Amino acid sequence: MLIELKGVHKTYDNGQPLHVLKGIDLEIEKGEFVSIMGASGSGKSTLLNILGILDNYDEGEYHLAGKLIKNLSERESATYRNEMIGFVFQSFNLIGFKTAVENVELPLFYQGVSRHRRHEAAMAYLEKMGLTDWASHYPNEMSGGQKQRVAIARALITHPEIILADEPTGALDSKTSVEVMDLLTRLNREDGVTIIVVTHESGVANCADKIVHIKDGLIEKIEDNRQHHSSVFGADTIMK
Amino acid sequence: MRDLFIEIWESIRRNKVRTCLTGLAVAWGIFMLIVLLGAGNGLLNAFMGDSDDFATNTMNVFPGVTSKPYDGLKQGRRIRMTEQDMEMLRQPAFADHVDKVSTQATQGGYAMTYGRRYFRNIVLTGCMPDVEKVDRIQMHAGRFINERDMKSRRKVAVITHLHAKNFLSGSMDYDRLLGKRIKVGNLSFVIVGIRHGAENEDDRAVYIPYSTYKHLFSLGNRIDELNISFHDLETEAEAQAFEDEIRASLNAAHRVAPDDKRAFWIWNRFTQSIQMEKGRSLLITALWIIGLFTLVSGIVGVSNIMLITVKERTHEFGIRKALGARPGNILKLIVTESILITAFFGYIGMLLGMIACKVLDLTVGQSKVELFGESFKMLENPTVGLSTAIGATVVLIIAGTVAGIFPAMKAAKVKPIEALRAE
Repeated sequence: MLIELKGVHKTYDNGQPLHVLKGIDLEIEKGEFVSIMGASGSGKSTLLNILGILDNYDEGEYHLAGKLIKNLSERESATYRNEMIGFVFQSFNLIGFKTAVENVELPLFYQGVSRHRRHEAAMAYLEKMGLTDWASHYPNEMSGGQKQRVAIARALITHPEIILADEPTGALDSKTSVEVMDLLTRLNREDGVTIIVVTHESGVANCADKIVHIKDGLIEKIEDNRQHHSSVFGADTIMK
Repeated sequence: MRDLFIEIWESIRRNKVRTCLTGLAVAWGIFMLIVLLGAGNGLLNAFMGDSDDFATNTMNVFPGVTSKPYDGLKQGRRIRMTEQDMEMLRQPAFADHVDKVSTQATQGGYAMTYGRRYFRNIVLTGCMPDVEKVDRIQMHAGRFINERDMKSRRKVAVITHLHAKNFLSGSMDYDRLLGKRIKVGNLSFVIVGIRHGAENEDDRAVYIPYSTYKHLFSLGNRIDELNISFHDLETEAEAQAFEDEIRASLNAAHRVAPDDKRAFWIWNRFTQSIQMEKGRSLLITALWIIGLFTLVSGIVGVSNIMLITVKERTHEFGIRKALGARPGNILKLIVTESILITAFFGYIGMLLGMIACKVLDLTVGQSKVELFGESFKMLENPTVGLSTAIGATVVLIIAGTVAGIFPAMKAAKVKPIEALRAE
């Protein structure tokens, strides 16, 4: 079991307590392609932050690749994030004053990998994304789809256990959204990368093999979607 | 390391104007520090002169007037020192510290002639051979007064190189004067040595053996002063105790009240040099403090800039943290940037400060002021040494760290989730 959540609770306390996660139990196997769906305010982003060790939780247990992720120091959680998790964000989160290849290199920089090897690895992943010619361009010179592919290359470069994608198509048009989702699907099918996508778009969620529906801080249902007929708009479409 | 510098360079490059303006404050602070210290050194050098001119382990005693009645004698009695006082201090009882005891006597207002050349207002000094060591006299040619001169009361003299230059019409071939006769007043002496005479002081004394002097001027047993050189005194307190011991012995020998401090005037070069050194370090410390306070405004500026930088880059730090940057990585990034800015501009300030010191040396340093009919240099060598430069470098690195550490801690502490939300 790659991911194992048991009775995870999370309460935000900004003035008045807000119980966001009310006991989440979730198991995800290696190589799965899972999407987490829910309306805004359902707690899906909080769940993703906890899965990504960006945030902590109050109760329950979270095991990632056999390690208990609880009460970690900033230093430890930074190391776990670096080694086990690749992030893909809605707003890409590329560093503006770094070129595409430098952005992709960054996780390896924090692993202490040498300049030369870092650069080689980053170029290999950019090639895989079809962005070799864009390696020395800055993010503001690229289209949204290209930026998201750079971000995916950056997420993959450390060979993480999981890729966490938070609304990866949120800032993209429908055509580019299809391309990005196809890319993620291919990574899952061909390279066996475990992918978790958080979205509120049913078309995006439909790409996954398993859809976790979240409502009011609880898992409403877990839908087997290996037939990809979940979306009301049918297979092979992403409704924007 | 190289990656760190590239990262910092990127950050500085994006905020050129801001960085330069802040850097200016740091440069100004260090500039002021260096100029202040340089000018301070110049003042000290000009007024204190080279304290290396004299041996500091000496003490001169001059007779005074009693201020208290004692032992049946009334106050206001003039003390007369004799050669017995010298003999007393040479006793084994004082051998723990006393090296040598000697005396000298002077008489001014003589004319000195050599052939057709002459000097007015020459001071004739009868001295003992020890003076050469005590006053660190440098010889240009020949020798100083020696024991045999003393013993046989030779009529020999040591003149300064300034006299010699004049006698030789500007030539420096001092050896030619050795063995030649000069007249001081109506007395004739053979030149045995040419010593170095200070350029801007009233150091025009012609030295002759004390025995000769005593005979010529019929001094008898009386002496004008006691020159004592001593050893094995380390602290001011020890030197003071030794001085008190000498005073007590002299007071007792001359039937003076033990607590009468006016019967003998004691000029202790050792305690004086310690006190001068104290005053000197006090002044330098004061200048450092003033300079550092000037620097503080620069440091606050850098700190402020780093705070703004940290605030602007919060989102970026959030991305870095999500990708695996540890708090230490972020801390190092900010502190190093702060140190680099401070050190770079600090060095520019230091360089300009040193140039300013040099300019000061070439302008004010060359001018002289007239005071009481004598001319003084305003500044002498107003520069800072290597130790000050090293000190300033250390200050800069500390300053940079201090300026960067709080913003850096702030940046390192922000939770990645909050940092990612920031815009």
